[in-house]
Amino acid sequence: MKRHYRIAPGPIQMPSDAEIARYRDPRRLFYNYHRALHAMHRKPLYKDRKAFLALLLIVLLAWLLSDAADRRKEAGDAPPPSEQHVP
Amino acid sequence: MDRESEASLVGAAKTDPERFAPLYVRYFGDIFRFILRRAGSKELTADLTQQTFLNAMLALPRYESRGLPFRAWLYRIALNELRMYWRKRREVSIDLGRQEARLLGEEMGIAGEEEDLERLARALSKLDAKKAQLIELRYFDGMPYAELGQVMGLGEDAAKMRTHRALETLRQIFRKNP
Repeated sequence: MKRHYRIAPGPIQMPSDAEIARYRDPRRLFYNYHRALHAMHRKPLYKDRKAFLALLLIVLLAWLLSDAADRRKEAGDAPPPSEQHVP
Repeated sequence: MDRESEASLVGAAKTDPERFAPLYVRYFGDIFRFILRRAGSKELTADLTQQTFLNAMLALPRYESRGLPFRAWLYRIALNELRMYWRKRREVSIDLGRQEARLLGEEMGIAGEEEDLERLARALSKLDAKKAQLIELRYFDGMPYAELGQVMGLGEDAAKMRTHRALETLRQIFRKNP
């Protein structure tokens, strides 16, 4: 990042106290503070045993379903026993 | 606000974050102007100021007073916010008032002619970011060395020494670039 200084063409106008006060919003600050604090203290998923087990169960179920679907597909692809070539 | 009442407000805010409000009201203007001078737009300044106070509230339990105004600690957080904002940009433009540039020129023994001021701004643009920040804080924000040190994470003596070195480097750049 390059810093570029330049001489302002006119005097630099700083906003008055009254104008600055319009940007002040303590309610928003406290709301954001509580939200940030909550996010900071939230247990990460890998440390929450219940959430971790639930996630593990979902993954296991998905794997079982996909495995069952694969087996069914394999069985469907194979030719029926009557059409099988017997030497 | 005297140092004692400030310390009691900070102590109260440390135990109960809801009591941070008087500090927010007291220093909002100072931090807003400090950021506006560097960020330019009022809307962006309002966001960065709000983020500065949010970070200050979150870090308040770790705050330790070193006998310096609480404001200096807020300036440090504000400068970090600005640095994070600047990191996303390729170039940053900072406007200097003629009065400020003249004061810096006087410190460097330069006449306050229009051409000299333009040259001074160009020389300042060539200075590395940390040195330029020391000069900004000292000569444009008018910070005492102790506060400046707190903002830059230095001791008072180190802040003084580095600012003088930065001024010397600026003087050399100014002379080399007519």
